[in-house]
Amino acid sequence: MKKVFAKKNCSVSDYLKEYSFIKKNINGESGGVLKKIKIAVFSSSTIQGIDKVLFVECYNIGIDLEMFVGGYKQYHQDILNSNSSFYKFQPDLVIISIDVRDILGDNYFNYYQLQDEEKKQLLEDGINEIVSLVDNIKKNLNSKVLIHNFEVPFFSPLGIIENKQKFGFIEFVKKINFDLENLYKQDSQIFIFDYDAFCSKWGKNDIIDYKMYYLGDIKISSKYLPNLCKEYISYIKPLMSMTKKCLVLDLDNTLWGGVIGEDGFEGIKLGLSPEGRPFVEFQKYILSLFNRGVILAINSKNNLDDALNIIKNHPYMVLKEEYFASIKINWDNKASNLKEIAEDINIGLDSLVFFDDDKLNREIVRTTLPEVAVVDVPEDPSLYLKTIMALDDFNSFYLSEEDKKKGAMYVEQRKRTELSKISVNIDEYLEALNMEVTIEKANSFNIPRISQLTQKTNQFNMTTKRYSEEDIKQFSNSDNFLVFSLKVEDKFGDSGLTGVAIIEKKGKKWVIDSFLLSCRIIGRRVEEVLLAHILKEAKEEDAEILIGEFVLTKKNEPAKNFYEKNGFELIENKENSQLWEFPVNKTYEFPKFIKIKILF
Amino acid sequence: MKTLKKILANVLGINEDAITNETSQDNTETWDSFNGLMLVSELENAFGIIFTMDEVRQIKNVGDIRAILEKKGAKFVND
Repeated sequence: MKKVFAKKNCSVSDYLKEYSFIKKNINGESGGVLKKIKIAVFSSSTIQGIDKVLFVECYNIGIDLEMFVGGYKQYHQDILNSNSSFYKFQPDLVIISIDVRDILGDNYFNYYQLQDEEKKQLLEDGINEIVSLVDNIKKNLNSKVLIHNFEVPFFSPLGIIENKQKFGFIEFVKKINFDLENLYKQDSQIFIFDYDAFCSKWGKNDIIDYKMYYLGDIKISSKYLPNLCKEYISYIKPLMSMTKKCLVLDLDNTLWGGVIGEDGFEGIKLGLSPEGRPFVEFQKYILSLFNRGVILAINSKNNLDDALNIIKNHPYMVLKEEYFASIKINWDNKASNLKEIAEDINIGLDSLVFFDDDKLNREIVRTTLPEVAVVDVPEDPSLYLKTIMALDDFNSFYLSEEDKKKGAMYVEQRKRTELSKISVNIDEYLEALNMEVTIEKANSFNIPRISQLTQKTNQFNMTTKRYSEEDIKQFSNSDNFLVFSLKVEDKFGDSGLTGVAIIEKKGKKWVIDSFLLSCRIIGRRVEEVLLAHILKEAKEEDAEILIGEFVLTKKNEPAKNFYEKNGFELIENKENSQLWEFPVNKTYEFPKFIKIKILF
Repeated sequence: MKTLKKILANVLGINEDAITNETSQDNTETWDSFNGLMLVSELENAFGIIFTMDEVRQIKNVGDIRAILEKKGAKFVND
């Protein structure tokens, strides 16, 4: 996919031009390779042009956007009527933006004329209005809903004593925002977009152009439309499973200032000086990404010993060796190093984000490995922190305990690989890992993670069916389905919940609807233990035959031979899918060196 | 350099060469009230000037826009 429009700070008119260009020239031919998304937007104000600007932003990252823009102030009618064209549109994402002036009406100016009781009522009414919209959407759709919170005003008739008032006007708006956030904190479908923070970020004084407000009820000045759409992209990326997993870092002039080969251990900029601090803080922020589950790797042209000396021994080095899942310090070209990093960690190139100060390296990677996200690194290192903080590539809608440990788990993986180099054969190596597998049925604690795995797993995934939490809940409550989860632990650490199987019981015939393993435990034969357990349950319930399906995708090659290797017989062979069967009373051999714990 | 015609063409989705001082809301289908406002915002940002509400209300054609821009001393390629 070619990025046709990557310029920064484009005006809306640039977007409009680009929109016509794409529609005229490109969409017809390459539209087929783009992922498709449907988004519905409702607003209490005019947001002219949002469909086109968001279309271009989506197109740039390989998404074909179809949009439903609710009529001006029509959101009640559209959302409350379950037969409306909005529900027929079946959006993947619903965005609702209601302005604080519209929800408060005259009370926006009259607030201090209200009695305490009336203020409370106003708060309740405001919240209830949102809740009733949300409840209606939830009744009719499973799609994610993004609700703008309210812009907190920065003026008050009381001026400097505003915050001395009991339940003052500004506190009131903050309270609505606070209550909304709390209301949906545990909700996996509803997300609050911090529109107030967005307005602060760009300047509340400038967000509204009063002339446009009076002429056309426009409450966000059009020049901020691209910025708003970029914020939406942060939600669209995880919705389209475009979340990145690994941050690949250069060393010289990236993690420290200067070049180690020329400046030496004492000469590089890293420490408490004005030139050293940007690098220290940049590293600290990257460490916080690691702690939320981002995998880290190094890709640097350097002498290995010189560079490791700094990483291990420099007093201000924050990112020590133990934070990196893959370290490529050599004189090879950066693109081939990136390929090796992806292989080492066992993730796709499209899961990598590359941060390198060298423009030429970035260009080489951009042209040779277009799947890799390459960060536009500014020339001035004092802007690195700002740049990395603005990255929206690692967002996900849900962060499990497993996710937070992911960075560390891949470091354990590197150590396992080192062990495998010492071991004589693969089974000996696996045995030396002292693995213990825990199999557990779906329950309220693990359902979010199970759903997440079905959404994210691409490689070892037999059918690649994507399920929401709601879907998994339904399977788990149904007598016709079984949902198993698999956890793996070994002497290097806990890999957490990393395998899922969903079985549909059709009388004597049991069908494996889904069977998948997270990439970090592929090749450790734990899938055989899971299969053995399914067969055991099938036997106990007098099933006769177990059916497995394989559906080929671009990415699930590693799963292709699973049924064949495990003694299944091919019963149907189509171009992109196969059906396999296994008689339940046939003996099934699985590795005995893996300890099994069954929890129900 | 941003030019008046480029912005007009982008926002109204019309051909640059077809734009004259007489191009107006009446003879340009896409020049509706909202695109008219979008046009003003884009011109303000591009030329670093600000229209008053009255000026916006008075705009009927490209000639009107040009006159306002010239009055405000906006530097644009005279096209």
